[in-house]
Amino acid sequence: MRFAFVCAAAAAAAAALAWPSPARASDEDLFGWGPRSPAMGGTGAASSHGADAAYTNPALLSRVHRNLLTLGWSGASYDLHAEGGGLPGRVSVLPAKGFSVGAEVPIPFGGALKDRVAAGMVFYTPSDALVRGRILYPETPQFPLLADRSQSLAVRIAVGADLGWGLRVGAGFAALAELVGAIDIVNTAGNAGAHVDDQLVATYAPTVGVAWDLPFDRAADGSSRWRVGATLRGKLAATFGVTVDASKLSSLALPPFNIGGVAQYDPEEAALEVARESDGWTVAAGVTWKHWSAYPGVFEPTILCPASHPDCAALTPPQIAFSDTFVPRFGVERRFDLPRHASVSARGGFFYEPTPVPTTLPSSQAYDLGAQSLVDLPTRFFDTSRYVFSVGAGVDMGDEAPFTLDVYAQYHVLADTTVTTCNGGQCNPDPGPAKLSGNVLAWGLMLGVRF
Amino acid sequence: MGDEGRMRRPSVFAAVLLLVALRAGDARANPLDVFGFGSRETAMGGAVSADVTDFSATYYNPAGLALAHGFELSIGYFRADHSLYMNGKDNGVDPVKGMIGGAVVPGKLFDVPFAIGVGFHVPDDRLTRVRALPQDQPRWEMYDNRNQRLWFGVDAAISPLPWLQLGGGVTFMAATVATLDISGHVDLFGPSDSALRHEVNADLTLVAYPDFGARVEVTKDFTLSAVYRGQFALDLNVDANVRAGVGLGRAGDLTTLGILLATDTVDSFLPQQVVLGGSWKLLGGALHANLDLTWINWGAYVPPVTKLQATLNVPPPQGGWPAGIAPPTPPAPVTITPIDIHDTVVPHVGLEWRAIARPSWQGFVRGGYEFAKSPIGAQTGPTNYVDCDRHSISAGLGVRLLRPASVLPGDVRFDVAAQLSVLPTETTLKVDASDPVGDYTAGGHIWNLGATATVGF
Repeated sequence: MRFAFVCAAAAAAAAALAWPSPARASDEDLFGWGPRSPAMGGTGAASSHGADAAYTNPALLSRVHRNLLTLGWSGASYDLHAEGGGLPGRVSVLPAKGFSVGAEVPIPFGGALKDRVAAGMVFYTPSDALVRGRILYPETPQFPLLADRSQSLAVRIAVGADLGWGLRVGAGFAALAELVGAIDIVNTAGNAGAHVDDQLVATYAPTVGVAWDLPFDRAADGSSRWRVGATLRGKLAATFGVTVDASKLSSLALPPFNIGGVAQYDPEEAALEVARESDGWTVAAGVTWKHWSAYPGVFEPTILCPASHPDCAALTPPQIAFSDTFVPRFGVERRFDLPRHASVSARGGFFYEPTPVPTTLPSSQAYDLGAQSLVDLPTRFFDTSRYVFSVGAGVDMGDEAPFTLDVYAQYHVLADTTVTTCNGGQCNPDPGPAKLSGNVLAWGLMLGVRF
Repeated sequence: MGDEGRMRRPSVFAAVLLLVALRAGDARANPLDVFGFGSRETAMGGAVSADVTDFSATYYNPAGLALAHGFELSIGYFRADHSLYMNGKDNGVDPVKGMIGGAVVPGKLFDVPFAIGVGFHVPDDRLTRVRALPQDQPRWEMYDNRNQRLWFGVDAAISPLPWLQLGGGVTFMAATVATLDISGHVDLFGPSDSALRHEVNADLTLVAYPDFGARVEVTKDFTLSAVYRGQFALDLNVDANVRAGVGLGRAGDLTTLGILLATDTVDSFLPQQVVLGGSWKLLGGALHANLDLTWINWGAYVPPVTKLQATLNVPPPQGGWPAGIAPPTPPAPVTITPIDIHDTVVPHVGLEWRAIARPSWQGFVRGGYEFAKSPIGAQTGPTNYVDCDRHSISAGLGVRLLRPASVLPGDVRFDVAAQLSVLPTETTLKVDASDPVGDYTAGGHIWNLGATATVGF
């Protein structure tokens, strides 16, 4: 029976893996997703129990025993500063705002699988653009890992199963859509036209999770008070790659332009967390490893050397040595039970997000039209470590009405950081160091409907 | 009305909110129009708008979702191979193939039946493809590229009265707006040695359109339906701005180069549609006879031909152009000829016979037919949007296992379908005897095979 159950659970997980997910983004990586996790310092690998588990730990979807649909509205405003030579002081960044939909659905198997399998879906879309790809010149002051990463669609679907013995497993995946293609200018007898062939191609990243209810310190009803959870999220990268061939526009020998770069990127991540749930309290602490050292950066060369001329003199973009990070997290929730299964919850949390960007950045090369020669320019790919404080609250109307309401707010304090922007080059004039600081305010509201 | 009436208001309000919010990421597109969605539905010629309650209701009529009895999961696959010819030569139109599936989650809101449905078709090779060809290049306008795309729909439905179901949502899809800036130095003698850099400012922006449906049970054995699907198109606007010095090698600039390219492409246009359908239960419910009529507003169609504005600004160098470099001349844009296209009404008929009814399983036989008259006028001028009338004949089988295992308290269904679309050969005679493409005959057929499995709880 157990074997059949495990096979069925694996089949359910495989079904979830086969589900399409048109897009995915970093909003959830920056701020978290769901009614609870963003308010609890981004914890959840051992403490989620709703649709947010599709991101934090799919195994915990197996705690879902009712249909719930959530509609949310969230946003973030940025106050980012870069001081120093040639820098603007306040770096202008568009605020992020968007709406989200979450669904948590128990899958009503019978027999040995009864009340053991559930699915969750997370959907987020910015209100202004589904995906925003900004690949700016390296010398433009920018916070690409913070601002534009929040401007992207996210869809994530997962399934979790309770295997018994306190062990839960889950799997799912997310995806981003990347744009690749070509625009060829054709010239027929002096008339210019275009041949366009562009494709949106999906790039997927799996998420797997496991959770274990520790077999000690049990509550009066026999449930375990302690749980450990671990989640592995695969790397998700979306490139923008369009080749523009204008060589037939005129008699000038123009090279094909490779207009490309990494528009959105989430590194591979592993989260480990322990949580204690007892008497209305939930306390969770954990750490997330982020494999930023594999990040190739956003820049790509505009001219790709042909196979016949592999050592061509085309410009190469600056290479930044990103480093892995460890994010410690802490979250707490206090639930107050009310009559007719209603409840009110208060939440809080903290996490520290170290920056993967080094404080010494290489210079970048460009052709100066005025000087008619190559020049060195500073690379202003800015990021700093962040201290993030979060609070939130939730109301479940229980038997009174089939609604839930949750709110959260996060305050990100950017650590004051000094960055060298022209290492190894001879920038003229030398801009000197850049001093970075700022803060981010993120917030969200989610209305849930049971049906 | 009393308490019951008051209680129902918030449920309808919530449902409307959900309708608006849920249908996200949907690329309502053409593969399902041509090849159907779900093996049962394909086998019945797509005539199911009044007779569908599973995941495929997200496409055919979302109102049907409200009649789902329990949670359902479906997964399947189809492949359509084109054999389309011009002047006897196969044009090599790519096959349309990929997974289909979805889920239906029924429930109740304030005791009103309510359901959410998710449906998808994911092509094997790509999510979507935007391909624009010069207008004079012959292409199978309805089959060459338009069916190469993702479809992902999420719908909600309610049944406020036992004989009435309403459903729908808002569909979102992405259009692309991008500005590219390229700067540096172009080496005319060694283009790959050019010192160029670029900047990208690209947005995938939201395109939204509604779709909704209604289902009315006139009698126990007769049901009517009405469905509206909004108009949809994928826009791809890419502007490129090149600012560079031009020279021979890196030894300074002879002159400057300024290029402005503005491309505007509309692709994957899906016109708005209205479907009116009926379903009759005969032989005590063992036989379903269905008819759908679909009005398609092809008259609003925008063909996928890129509008290009190209500006070239290259002042002559002092002392003139070096030997071997021809002076560039700005090109003139191509004049785009409007397409001759008109609205159509597509009839679909379908039959489903429950041939075997045993306590533990049931067997079904299905058949269907669809006639899609070509909306495109004769291509006697400079354009070559090739198309023909299409007759689609389909058949299929289904097996339903009732309570097959203790962990599956509902049912398990397996359905297969085969569809043959025949495009009778038509001849196009050009008005201009010197037309570079010339007269041609076109026709062919398309085979579409698929299978779907559903687990109901």
